[in-house]
Amino acid sequence: MFALVHLVPGDPVRLALGTRFSQETYDALRERSGLDRPLVEQFFTWFARALGGDLGVSFRSGDTVTSLIAERLPATLTLAFASILVALVIAIPLGTLSALRPRSVVDRVATVLSQIGISVPDFWMAIVLILVFAGTLGWLPTGGYVPLSEDPGGWLARLVMPAVVTGVVSGSVITRFVRSSVLEALGADHVRTAQAKGLPTRQVFTWHVVRNALLPLVTVTGVQLAYLLSGVVVVEIVFSWPGLGQLALQSVEARDYPVLQGAILLFALVFLVINLVVDLLYTAIDPRIRR
Amino acid sequence: MRSTRLLALAAVGALSLTACSGGGDSVDTGGGSGGDNVLIAAVSAQPDQFDPHVTNAYASFQVLENVYDTLVVPNAEDLTMEPSLATEWTTSEDDLEWRFTLREGVTFHDGSEFDSADVVYSYNRIIDEELSNSYRFATVESVEADGPQTVVIRVTQPTPNLPALIGSFKGMAIIPEGAAEDVDLTTEAVGTGPFRLESSSASSTVLTANEDYWGQAPSIDGVEFRYITEPAAALTALQNGEVQWTDNIPPQQVDALGGDDSVELATTPSVDYWYMSMNFARPPFDNPQVRRAIATAVDREAVTQAARFDAAQPNQTAIPEDSFFHTDYAPFDVDVEAARQLIEQSGVPTPIRMGLMVTDEYPETVTAAQVIASQLEPIGIEVEVQTTDFATWLDRQSQGDFDAFMLGWLGNVDPFDFYHAQHITGGASNYQKYSNPQVDDLLTRASTETDEKSRKDLYDQATRLIVDDVSYLYLYNPDVVQAWAPGLSGYEIRADKAINFEGVELP
Repeated sequence: MFALVHLVPGDPVRLALGTRFSQETYDALRERSGLDRPLVEQFFTWFARALGGDLGVSFRSGDTVTSLIAERLPATLTLAFASILVALVIAIPLGTLSALRPRSVVDRVATVLSQIGISVPDFWMAIVLILVFAGTLGWLPTGGYVPLSEDPGGWLARLVMPAVVTGVVSGSVITRFVRSSVLEALGADHVRTAQAKGLPTRQVFTWHVVRNALLPLVTVTGVQLAYLLSGVVVVEIVFSWPGLGQLALQSVEARDYPVLQGAILLFALVFLVINLVVDLLYTAIDPRIRR
Repeated sequence: MRSTRLLALAAVGALSLTACSGGGDSVDTGGGSGGDNVLIAAVSAQPDQFDPHVTNAYASFQVLENVYDTLVVPNAEDLTMEPSLATEWTTSEDDLEWRFTLREGVTFHDGSEFDSADVVYSYNRIIDEELSNSYRFATVESVEADGPQTVVIRVTQPTPNLPALIGSFKGMAIIPEGAAEDVDLTTEAVGTGPFRLESSSASSTVLTANEDYWGQAPSIDGVEFRYITEPAAALTALQNGEVQWTDNIPPQQVDALGGDDSVELATTPSVDYWYMSMNFARPPFDNPQVRRAIATAVDREAVTQAARFDAAQPNQTAIPEDSFFHTDYAPFDVDVEAARQLIEQSGVPTPIRMGLMVTDEYPETVTAAQVIASQLEPIGIEVEVQTTDFATWLDRQSQGDFDAFMLGWLGNVDPFDFYHAQHITGGASNYQKYSNPQVDDLLTRASTETDEKSRKDLYDQATRLIVDDVSYLYLYNPDVVQAWAPGLSGYEIRADKAINFEGVELP
């Protein structure tokens, strides 16, 4: 990962200096930022510090990487969890309904809707929402972020549009998984047996279908959440949402290696943690896995 | 096409510059209570940091313009240098010594008095630490104090553009003696300007009015710079009253906004210029006839229309028409037939392949390159538009790894900024490897010529040669486009894109 970040063409010193500068300035800044030392030495310096929780200092801003990430983490967490909530609120009823009545009108409408949700570009949907709800109707602010503790009303008003845009995209993906896993569970032998025993439909559904359909749902929700937590760059930019995606993008553009390495490290950790949580949930949902 | 030229507002700017010294008196704001009297400005990017001597980001200078001062400052009308922290300056008989008399009664935001030691400290910091603007002191031998109110700058050769070098932007700001050691200048600011830096986050930067400002203290309580990257969102925020000012306007809407009552739109030609340049070290672009053929085939009007939706002035030289140093010279008329003949005469077999390197950091270069590609096709030049990110672009430019590239030079004030390092043999910005002894001689003489008329003559001659040799193929000077809420007064749009809110009053 360290090598990959450094191998990308582009020179952070040249970027930091712009277009007018002298060679002496260039050399001085290169020396100050430690980029004149061998790559292997740079790696071990970084690695030793990272183990102690010190991810270094941004070339661009002079702030510590940990403070830059900490500043943006609340906004990213807020948007990610709000989006997953929107996604599940859309996906679970829609996917279940279409699975219960395959090839019905409901099913077809749901399929078309999720197809639209997946294929409409998120930046386009975001701009349309802004023009309608912030522009024409004037109900919501165009974007930005305020902490919940400062202004709960403003927090919610600013969260609605970005959460809907990312939630619709994720929800569309999840809807398809819900539909197919419910369908599969409905066709399973034990469900047929339960129905043959004369159990009420509701009981069959909650005890025998839902629990089995939950496993793939948890998996795909975990994947979507990990994706949302690593920042949704386009939506963050359009809604001026100060999340990690924007930070990662800025650090790529500026070849701000310390920030970029810190962000990648964090994203890797997020995937590990979510995978762990998903595995733990498996055992809670399906007792067979415990053995 | 310009909708409204608000240069008439210049009168208001003059008000802010007629310094009525005496610091201490705080002015009754007269308007609103608490946070209501704060101007909210939508800008497109977050400042990278606030150390004026280190940063190079326009987003940072938008803020710093309101926080720091320089010894001299460009006026709003024609960017000639006027007093700021220095009230007057003189040069010695041999033009090798400049004496600046400093303004009295100026205090920094931390309460300390401003004097000559601060100027000496600030300039020596830039020179000794080789900070990004140290090249501006290339001819400076020493910066010394002569008593608390006088600074003496000695130069190794006459430097007529010294005021422009130390005043054209806040990268040459004066900070208090020892500030770099005492405070973290990347996050804090200790200036003498009309506003103090209050706080900065990932969403916005907040300034508060400096009641002790040496000029007219601001009538607003503060400014919040809010980062809104998406132009459609910034414009909507202006229209629905969330913000009162923005410079982030979708270019394709500039025309329509002229007739829109919900916003006040202003445009003015800037001192930026955009150009294309070919690699003199790489055949067949070393051939003057090939370069002239390309300069003849490019339709600057069409390029400008596509890249800027007409919010720009086509120009065959670098300096815009309104400027004293403008060279009235436009030898190339669009003529495909003549261009084809030039290629034939050059003896270079067609098709000629040309990679045109552009960067998505400046999307207008990508659009312009596509138009240029289609214009060069009929004369037998196959252009491959190569779009890269800016970091890669800069790398390739510095290594000379290109056939041709497009970019702009921004914020030029003196003709030296427009021409010198770009075209002199071995110049720091002469990436195209242009070399013409006549041009070298003219540029060198112009850089030390103290008589303004003779200086203009020298630059005029150099410009004609540069254009004829197609060292740069000049395309256009873009307009500055800004908009604000109707009723907002005291703001002045400027050709150097400096954003100064000190005289603003909210509707």
